[in-house]
Amino acid sequence: MNVIETTKLFKTYSQGDIQVNALNDVSINFEQGEFTAIVGPSGSGKTTFLNAIGGLDTPDSGKVIINNTDITQLKSNQLIDFRLRNIGFVFQAYNLIPVLTAKENVEFIMLMQGETAKSRKSRTEELLNAVGLKEQINRKPGQLSGGQQQRVAVARALASKPQFVLADEPTANLDSTSTSNLLDIMFRLNQEEKMTFIFSTHDQRVIDRAKRIITLEDGKVISDVIQ
Amino acid sequence: MLIKLAWRNIWRNKKRSFITITAILIAVFLAIIMRSLQLGMYDNMIQNVVGSYSGHVQVHSKGYWEEQTIDNAFEFNDSLIQKIENNINVSNTTKRIQSGCLSSNSDLSKFVFVTGIEPQKEQLMTDWNKRLIDGELLKPNSQAINIGKGIAKYYDLHIGDTLIFIGQGYHGMQAVGAFQVSGILDMKNPALNNISVFMSLSSAQEFLSAEGLMTHLVINKKEYSDEKEIVASLQKELNKNYEIMSWQEMMPEIEQVIQADSAGGLIMIFILYMIITFGIFGTVLMMTQERKYEFGVVVSIGMKKVKLMISMVYETIFLTSIGIFLGILLSRPIVLHYYNNPLEFPAEEAEMMESQGFEAVIPFMSSYDIPITHGLIIFFISLIICIYPIITIYKLNPIKAMKR
Ligand SMILES: Nc1ncnc2c1ncn2[C@@H]1O[C@H](COP(=O)(O)OP(=O)(O)O)[C@@H](O)[C@H]1O
Ligand SMILES: [Mg+2]
Repeated sequence: MNVIETTKLFKTYSQGDIQVNALNDVSINFEQGEFTAIVGPSGSGKTTFLNAIGGLDTPDSGKVIINNTDITQLKSNQLIDFRLRNIGFVFQAYNLIPVLTAKENVEFIMLMQGETAKSRKSRTEELLNAVGLKEQINRKPGQLSGGQQQRVAVARALASKPQFVLADEPTANLDSTSTSNLLDIMFRLNQEEKMTFIFSTHDQRVIDRAKRIITLEDGKVISDVIQ
Repeated sequence: MLIKLAWRNIWRNKKRSFITITAILIAVFLAIIMRSLQLGMYDNMIQNVVGSYSGHVQVHSKGYWEEQTIDNAFEFNDSLIQKIENNINVSNTTKRIQSGCLSSNSDLSKFVFVTGIEPQKEQLMTDWNKRLIDGELLKPNSQAINIGKGIAKYYDLHIGDTLIFIGQGYHGMQAVGAFQVSGILDMKNPALNNISVFMSLSSAQEFLSAEGLMTHLVINKKEYSDEKEIVASLQKELNKNYEIMSWQEMMPEIEQVIQADSAGGLIMIFILYMIITFGIFGTVLMMTQERKYEFGVVVSIGMKKVKLMISMVYETIFLTSIGIFLGILLSRPIVLHYYNNPLEFPAEEAEMMESQGFEAVIPFMSSYDIPITHGLIIFFISLIICIYPIITIYKLNPIKAMKR
């Protein structure tokens, strides 16, 4: 079953006089439980693509169907709610609210979803446990390393029980130990919770861990392989 | 959660929040102290001239103010006085009968105003013991008189001496009488000292052949209540045979002086508020700008913009409320201290003030209206400033906000 279906996505940016095709006829489907890397050189359209399927930006044309809904047709406040209920996000850095502790950051998203205090508490502990931060649960982001912060971000992304998690270069700011640590956790959550992960990267060690690799260049899909 | 978020965000930049709170505190503090001093001073001025002599409101028979003669006196009845004293803003009332007449002693003569008063009730308005410089004060039915020190000096009168009055009584009756001086008063006002003669109400009525009549019913309001409200409600309650006047109508010059002075103070406070507005705005501007990335993240993951706006409004309100609260808290003991122990003028100015009929002290006004008014003004300023983060969040595009 497909969680995301995209058809004929186009997005053009104009930079001064030049027209840049950030997405040029992209049609990709994703199935439940995938662990997929979007790769390609800088400027190839990875972020633009993830923003389109994450409902953060609308393509010039084409469809993005999630849960039988074409999200390109939603209004901006409908999109905010759609993101809250369906999509988990991990950004490159500075994902967390600095004044809240690790626990509160994870709880925050469930609070917005209207979860009860009891279910929030148990799920927060379970997730922070799963990302190996049982001890750091009451620390604020400033007291955590970059790798630990990204792990909290992964826990938060899963807290809302989304259809899939989008991560745009989640390891770009991490050293190699933290990178493989984060990958281990994401991989395990993919195996155990059947969570779909779609992440962009240009780090070869990350690419090696992916089950499916989609390569973009100048906004076009140039290869799509399952390894 | 939003409240928790807002509260913690305030302390993110402790130094900046501290400076902002201190600035608000100082503004509120200064505004309260300035206004308490000014309004206290005016209140005291009014109290000196109005509260202790003319009263805040007077009831006369219709037309008396235009033509102040004994023929315009009116008959009083207890139900009328009862009605007036039942008014919630009224503190007490006193009856007077007044008429101008000629006084004389040996070969000197002088025009004076004879006023019949109810000594005990007059005492509720002002402390007559402070006026007494020689002899003793009037008693309810005494036959003697108290005179201003100007008159005593003019005739070289002493306690026990007699003064003769010749004038017109009610409806053209002849008014002639000789009265013994039992006390000499300093009315703290040269004009009043030269013209004031007081008798008990009953002897004045007898002297003027005006049994059961009075010319003035003097009304004093309760502290910090509004004399204009008294006038308005009495005008509804009493019939058309009476004229009800506030002191502002009787002595418009005093009100004009106060209004001119007050305007100066308000301009200073306005400038103070302008400065504080820019101060708060600067802080809120920085709070908003430096957090755009974070706004981008929370909106991306699904936080409704309205909630984010509410959180920023809370934050602004908390910040200003702390300053307002501390400002009020710090000003309160000072205001109360100077309310109970009025500020005194330096000696030279004091003499000048007293010669013009004013007490040379400034008691602060302790009414809660002042801190509440100024607290609310800054509170509303901060609400207006909240428009900035609200617009910023409304326009926020998460992708742009998160681009570094
Ligand atoms: N807001 C924008 N305005 C103009 N050009 C943009 C904008 N966003 C992206 N682009 C351009 O679109 C192309 C794809 O960008 P992006 O999706 O960020 O690539 P990647 O994430 O693979 O590095 C690039 O050439 C980039 O310069
Ligand atoms: Mg990118």
